[in-house]
Amino acid sequence: MPIIFHIPAALREFTAGRSRVEVENPATTLADALSALWAVYPGVRDRIATEQGEVREHINIFIGQENTRYTGGLATPVAAGSEISIVPAVSGGCEELCDARPVAHV
Amino acid sequence: MIGQILGHCRILAKIGEGGMGTVYRAYDEVLHRDVAVKVVNKDARLDPSSSQRLLHEARASSSLAHPNICTIHDVGENEGEFYIVMELVEGKSLAAMAEVGGLAPESVLRYGVQIASALARAHDRGIVHRDLKAANILITNEGLIKVLDFGLAKQAGSGIFEGPTRSFATMEDTSSVSGTLPYMAPEILSGNADDHRSDLWALGVVLYEAASGRLPFEGRTGFEISSAILREIPNPLGPPVPPGLWAVIQRCLAKEPIQRYQRAGEVQAALEAVQSAAIVSPDPAAESSPPRTTILHSVRHAQVRKGDFLLLVGTTKGAFILRSNAQRTRWDVGGPYFHGHNVYSMAFDSRRGRHRIWASTQSYWGTLLRSSDDFGKSWTNPQQAPIRFPPDTGVSLKNIWQITLGRPDEPNVLYCGVEPAALFETRDAGETWSLVRGLFDHPHRPRWMPGNGGLALHTIVLDPANSQRMYVAIASGVVYRPEEGRSTWTAQIGGLRVMFMPDKYPEFGQCVHKIALHPDRPERLFLQNHWGLYRSDNRGEKWTDIANGVPSDFGFSVIMHPRNPDCVYIIPVESDEFRCACDGRLRVYRTRNGGASWEPLVRGLPQKGAYETVLRDAMTADSFDPVGIYFGTRSGQLFGSRDEGRTWQKILDGFPSVLCVRNAVVGDASDPLTPASPKATPKHHTKARTKSRTRRSSR
Repeated sequence: MPIIFHIPAALREFTAGRSRVEVENPATTLADALSALWAVYPGVRDRIATEQGEVREHINIFIGQENTRYTGGLATPVAAGSEISIVPAVSGGCEELCDARPVAHV
Repeated sequence: MIGQILGHCRILAKIGEGGMGTVYRAYDEVLHRDVAVKVVNKDARLDPSSSQRLLHEARASSSLAHPNICTIHDVGENEGEFYIVMELVEGKSLAAMAEVGGLAPESVLRYGVQIASALARAHDRGIVHRDLKAANILITNEGLIKVLDFGLAKQAGSGIFEGPTRSFATMEDTSSVSGTLPYMAPEILSGNADDHRSDLWALGVVLYEAASGRLPFEGRTGFEISSAILREIPNPLGPPVPPGLWAVIQRCLAKEPIQRYQRAGEVQAALEAVQSAAIVSPDPAAESSPPRTTILHSVRHAQVRKGDFLLLVGTTKGAFILRSNAQRTRWDVGGPYFHGHNVYSMAFDSRRGRHRIWASTQSYWGTLLRSSDDFGKSWTNPQQAPIRFPPDTGVSLKNIWQITLGRPDEPNVLYCGVEPAALFETRDAGETWSLVRGLFDHPHRPRWMPGNGGLALHTIVLDPANSQRMYVAIASGVVYRPEEGRSTWTAQIGGLRVMFMPDKYPEFGQCVHKIALHPDRPERLFLQNHWGLYRSDNRGEKWTDIANGVPSDFGFSVIMHPRNPDCVYIIPVESDEFRCACDGRLRVYRTRNGGASWEPLVRGLPQKGAYETVLRDAMTADSFDPVGIYFGTRSGQLFGSRDEGRTWQKILDGFPSVLCVRNAVVGDASDPLTPASPKATPKHHTKARTKSRTRRSSR
């Protein structure tokens, strides 16, 4: 089963307008899944991650309902058929999230 | 009608006209908001029962809260004329966007999903649109669809047409329904009952038109159009329209309602499926290189001509381009560009006949350096951020604080000062950038402390007389000057006092806010410190306190007069803790003797309760004679003086917080490749003709 990415409006310029992107990839971690996404849509990469491969401070990535900041960051396991949402932090409510650092690099 | 009050709305200007009525821009004087008011034409000949139905329908539509439906605020009647107060939508109609030959399939899908979503909500509430057409669909500046006039057509239409005969009335009298007939479903033309599936037919027409730029059923007369709708099959749409999209359109355009989708939600789901289809094996030709340039539809653009004068204003919510002429009295505002992004730095590059505007943008999606060669109509939006720290540094770019053009004899050189503090350089006009290692590897760097705004290299000043010499200022590092071909950099600290540190004269750590240099005296620097106002006459080796008679020696901005190397402008603020104009009086201070004395320039500036802050890059001086000075405040006001600061006028207010202000003359007279029109020629000091441009750009 493919992995499904939900793309926020601000990034659809780089996904040919698609709000939902499926990637067929034997990804085992979030890092793998993201690499597969930006192999297809390279413009997404620098919007989500810094040049050092860390997820940007105010960007949250959910697998299903879980914020991956609390489940292992980029090392979070990804199962086939997972739905991954890219969500910018809501202004004013992100301090707690921002303090959590990713634990692996892409 | 202009100036009249309808309900509690004052009519301001006419913005459109259609078969049903006239639309005005208005201001709701009770709720204090801009609105649109549609006044229904008297010649719509509504009978009393139709009038009541129109009111009822409009009220029902006003309950449709959906992001893709233009909200109806109110309906009313004034001397027999009905009017509808609705959300004011700034944008372009889909009809206008499609008429140039059709949109990219991705855009058609994106817009189609939103239109279908709007229809689904209305149909769920029992409201049928009945006049869905490309002209009734607006696309906001943010790319959001807004469908107009839900439920209004039915009642107005029943006043115009009578039952089964209306289709024939339409054929004979296309003037009253022009633009509508091509969207009418066969069952309407046949005089049969229509329902929500007639809206889905119209959606099919809209999608066909958006994808191809032409209507599926065309004809020279109303009769020919009606015949085509009733009997003909539209020409198929091939590539680039994906087969999935064409299939959705075909099903919407099935002649029999029962053969169409039965619900708008089904159309939405079908379009979303097309959106995500084929992604597993994308067509490399179509997918591998999304456009590098973002075309900004519907953002207001200033129409710039050669000889015009520009102010570039970067704010916490985007950038603006203000256009004027040499008189600098009337301003045309373009923007906002980069909605919601911080724009800390801008620059105008006229070297080699360019007219390129540079801007740095920062948001939670990262920091980018972007440029426009058409005065903001389109901007580069590179897939990969052009300025990035090498992997071995372990450092990530947070912001770009300064864009500085190289010297006139290096037309492809630019510098960027960034946060965390570092200097980047390009030698190919911005195609590739590299980190200046000599400064990055400075032994002081690990011990630089971030200032209030972050650890930023915010100022780059080039010495026009020596191509090897430049100065950079870091908060809070100090001023550094390169030696020996930029492999080593030395801190220029002699006499710089640090009020806030245990050691008042440390080796580094002075929080420099700004430095300025005049090209005619390149050995001399002026400096605004975090406490302290200084001048150096020997390239920063020794600094002299020049805070002689200013209300505070705390401040941010320092700019030079373009032709007088003894003349400097500053705007002091009260203190480190209270970074506002001293005593609530907004005062610019000027010295004309190199800092021996300062005079306040206040005429026209608020002198009571003006707790304003002007940031380090938010003041600029033009090159006209007399010189114009401009500055923007954190409260979003922009002030200007056309007489060197003697008197001031407010140019505009209501901006977001101003971060930077720059100026430019388009087609600068000093550039032989782009001669300016005589009436707007800036006056240059002959000797400093090219130098003054260096100064202007290098602050």
